[in-house]
Amino acid sequence: MTYCVKINDREYKFDEEISILQAAAQAHIKIPTLCYNEKLAPYGSCRLCSVEVEGRKTLMPACVTKIENGMIVKTHSEKVRRVRRTIMELIIASHDISCNLNCLNCSRSSSCEIRQVAQEIGIHSIRIPPIEKKQSVDSSSHAIIREPSKCIVCNRCVRKCAEVQNVNVLTVANRGPKTIITTFMDRGMGNVDCTNCGQCILECPSGALHEAYHLDYVWKAIENSDKMVIVQTAPAVRVAIAEEFGFKPGTIATGQLVSGLRLLGFDKVFDTNFTADLTIMEEGTEFIKRFKSQKKLPLFTSCSPGWIKFIEHNYPEMLDNLSTCKSPQQMFGAVIKSFYAQKIGMDRDKIVVVSLMPCTAKKFEAQRNEMKGDVDYVLTTRELAKMFMQAGIKLMDLSAEDYDSPFGESSGAAELFGSSGGVMEAALRTAYEIITGHELENLNFHEVRGLKGIKEACVKIGTQEVKVAVAHGLGNARILMERIKKGEKFDFVEFMACPGGCIGGGGQPIPTNEEVIVERMTAVYDIDTLAKHRKSHENESVKRLYKEFFGEPLSERSHELLHTSYTVRH
Amino acid sequence: MEKIFLKTDFGKTIDNYEFLGLNKALRMKPSEVLEKVKENCIRGRGGAGFPAGIKWDFVAAEKSEIKFVVCNGDEGEPGTFKDRFLLENLPFKVIEGIIIAGYAVDARYGYIYIRGEYEKAIKSIRESIHKMTERKLLGKSILGSSFGFELKLIRGAGAYVCGDETSLLNSIEGKRGLSRIKPPLPAKEGLYEKPTLVNNVETLSVIAEILKYDQNIYLSLGTPKSRGTKLLSISGDVKNPGVYEIEFGKMSIMQIINDLAGGVKGSGLGFVMPGGIATNIISDEQLDTPYTYEDLEQTGSSLGSGGMIVVSKDRDYLSIVKNISDFFMNETCGTCFPCREGNRNINKMIDKMISDGKVGSQDIEIIREIKQAIGLAARCGFGQASVNSILSILEKYFEKKVYV
Amino acid sequence: MEKFYSKELIEELRDIQDTYGYIPEEQIVKIATKKNIPKAHLYGVISFYSMLYLEPTGKYIIRLCNSVSCRLNNSTEILRSIKEFLKIENGGTTKDKKFTLEVAECLGHCGEGPVMMINGQVYSFLTPEEAIKILKSLQ
Repeated sequence: MTYCVKINDREYKFDEEISILQAAAQAHIKIPTLCYNEKLAPYGSCRLCSVEVEGRKTLMPACVTKIENGMIVKTHSEKVRRVRRTIMELIIASHDISCNLNCLNCSRSSSCEIRQVAQEIGIHSIRIPPIEKKQSVDSSSHAIIREPSKCIVCNRCVRKCAEVQNVNVLTVANRGPKTIITTFMDRGMGNVDCTNCGQCILECPSGALHEAYHLDYVWKAIENSDKMVIVQTAPAVRVAIAEEFGFKPGTIATGQLVSGLRLLGFDKVFDTNFTADLTIMEEGTEFIKRFKSQKKLPLFTSCSPGWIKFIEHNYPEMLDNLSTCKSPQQMFGAVIKSFYAQKIGMDRDKIVVVSLMPCTAKKFEAQRNEMKGDVDYVLTTRELAKMFMQAGIKLMDLSAEDYDSPFGESSGAAELFGSSGGVMEAALRTAYEIITGHELENLNFHEVRGLKGIKEACVKIGTQEVKVAVAHGLGNARILMERIKKGEKFDFVEFMACPGGCIGGGGQPIPTNEEVIVERMTAVYDIDTLAKHRKSHENESVKRLYKEFFGEPLSERSHELLHTSYTVRH
Repeated sequence: MEKIFLKTDFGKTIDNYEFLGLNKALRMKPSEVLEKVKENCIRGRGGAGFPAGIKWDFVAAEKSEIKFVVCNGDEGEPGTFKDRFLLENLPFKVIEGIIIAGYAVDARYGYIYIRGEYEKAIKSIRESIHKMTERKLLGKSILGSSFGFELKLIRGAGAYVCGDETSLLNSIEGKRGLSRIKPPLPAKEGLYEKPTLVNNVETLSVIAEILKYDQNIYLSLGTPKSRGTKLLSISGDVKNPGVYEIEFGKMSIMQIINDLAGGVKGSGLGFVMPGGIATNIISDEQLDTPYTYEDLEQTGSSLGSGGMIVVSKDRDYLSIVKNISDFFMNETCGTCFPCREGNRNINKMIDKMISDGKVGSQDIEIIREIKQAIGLAARCGFGQASVNSILSILEKYFEKKVYV
Repeated sequence: MEKFYSKELIEELRDIQDTYGYIPEEQIVKIATKKNIPKAHLYGVISFYSMLYLEPTGKYIIRLCNSVSCRLNNSTEILRSIKEFLKIENGGTTKDKKFTLEVAECLGHCGEGPVMMINGQVYSFLTPEEAIKILKSLQ
């Protein structure tokens, strides 16, 4: 069926019954929205997208109103613009912007959607006096901070947490002027089943949600001449950091990143990719052991702390399936504060380990008791960009530099950790060669790549068939866990808390949407394709580490330093 | 004078209430009952005044195994207490109306949602359902016919906004009482996504009464656009507040106040909110307006759900405005920005007006703009009506008009 | 149809409120598990309704109507005298946990104002003295 719709006096033809918002977008007309996200169920609360439809007494919300054949729509008439301006004034009055210079010191001062929409709507005066909501900040969580005063109750975080992540810790509570977004019994993010994935931060249009900041601690450590400050960089950061400097998503900035970190004052710049290779050695061996004995299968990956907290809360009966391997971040901290500290003759207390992550949950992971303070501070990609700006460093103008030795070497497989399916692919490359003893010809396991929520594959390794699955986004993790609980058989499953994997992490530059994730993902696989060595077990520095210190994967010393345990959380 | 029509059978018990309407309806075809409702031009008595027959048509036309009738007893509008009157004193008529509605639209399951604060009405309905079930007036085969209907009572929990049709359905489904995005209308996808007919207590009672008569009795009462009678609750500065039944078109507002409600208390009449705080005020010469939907609309106000509030001229109007604004600010479901933020900000402005002791013309201008924004863009009728009385009082009594 | 034949959430919550005087956390968790609703969302539903309380209330919940018609009939006087007598503010509970005071919106008895409701029992045409007398009889 063809829909003939007149938008702003021009005729358009559409062949699907889409919303007016989508139809206008196809006609290259942007209707302003705040509570709308095409990936979430429409909520229809901000009403900024209201448009004139001939024959209707009131304005119609474009995000939920479907086009009809013969419909006549005016998206930017005087009436519409006036109403939008009034609504915007009301939002601003309740957003706690007063002469406390809130915008200037807000976490989203450069990416605030409210400011952007206000510009699109064109406010020329604010006649409505601001209201001070005086709601206290929720800083109960190690990873995510809520500032309810800045919240406009658009409900996007609630929907993201419910529909995409299926974690459901956020809700709208109360009624009337007391309507707020909060957690169960208003207890605080740190006191409920929050997994710290940070997807809510990515969804929030304002500064009402942001990570717990560590940058001041890091500055202090750097300026403390008594301390040696070491930084490790996650695979997903190097393909995203450039966005904070105006470059397009997927711009690879590894060399500049290393250079910039040195300029900031870090004593050593190492690569988490190194320990990603180390993780593959440990986990690959762990998998082979379990696969041979056919016990405790499927093996679940354990490098995503959002996933770990999720399974601890929701499926504690299956904790034994988790790999006991620490994440690359934590393996790194452990190696630095034991092996490296000994090697350079430094007291572990004098070493500060900072990790640079696309992730907010890593902040929680670092302070877990089992991790013994091996990693002191975690900076998100966004926080690092702030530090660069505070230091006047124009990152992308720097010349590329190399990581320090001995923890700067990595394989292409390590870089894959940044993308959903990457850990699986890296593990398969190594497991294949260890099990069969032969060289793997085709290194690319395409069935585990891409954006599909749950990817499955049957991989032939020698005479054996290994059933693998990959889930990204906790909503998909839950679906897959239910299938496994019902008895579906898998051997090895990769779980990532964030849609897209770490490149879509809660600490990444905003916006992080599907388009951006695809670009970052392409960059990750490009780095792998161009790498000198593409298999974890080919990493010479890793081999040397085993020779000098650990002996072999799953040795007693490995178990002591590179493996961990989990907590049942009800 | 009061016209007793709906109020017949007041106070009857199950032993002497005859269920004539139900008896007659079950002997007709459902489509005939539907026709009768349409012919009698009954307008919904919950506030919107939408023709009940058209709504019934929509639901009847839907093909579905399961359909629901939901009786809206969440009367929370300040000044309105006529539904409570019916629920406490004529419970059988209310339930009769629900069953007849079910029969006409082919719904076999019903809910009656009564606001949580109406303990007595809840008790009365609960007992009535019990007694009627015992006497096979509810259940599998009603009065020996092949029509079965089951009715459940739901108690509200204190939220005025649940009186809105779709908010009420959300409340029954165990959700927060926000309104739903329309379309789809409840007639198509209502309770638990099934076709649902939602009608006010009074509307259903009227239908039960009308079905008693072979002729189209409503056509002999009222005016062409406002057929029949209306239960009016009147309160405020009147000597005899209460629930009075009025034939449309037969009395003016002033006559209602003086002849039925005993006249104004105090030194004289200030203004009237004919449909309660959700409607514009009327005063002076407008008080001669006949009590009908169309005449009140002509004055710029509205009949609403029939809860009239009378205010004497001795009153501090600004404190009444604040009281009304408090109500809307606290009772909004809090979902859409125009209504939630609009009502909150208006409330703050009124606070300032009171503490400053003056009302600026700029403030009224802003409130006018906010009203327009809410009226055009809010999600549901609650929001759309929230600034009516406030603005009309401010405009009439506080805005300085320049006369040339 | 199982939805029609099972107890609605709002009815379950009303029952719990009537039994305990509020909705205890264990009950919230219990219902959340039973009806397969996330705890946080259930909390969001409960906090929406003014007759459902998340914290223990007094034995008697006094709801005093403050809407227009009752206001015009002097409800503010009644409020003042109750506050003085019980020595609590709006939303507060007396030390002996006997009374909780709530200023409520229209209770639907506009012709009989001023009106207060105590645990479902309606008292109308109040004067400050009568209101105190009623409270004394309950003490």
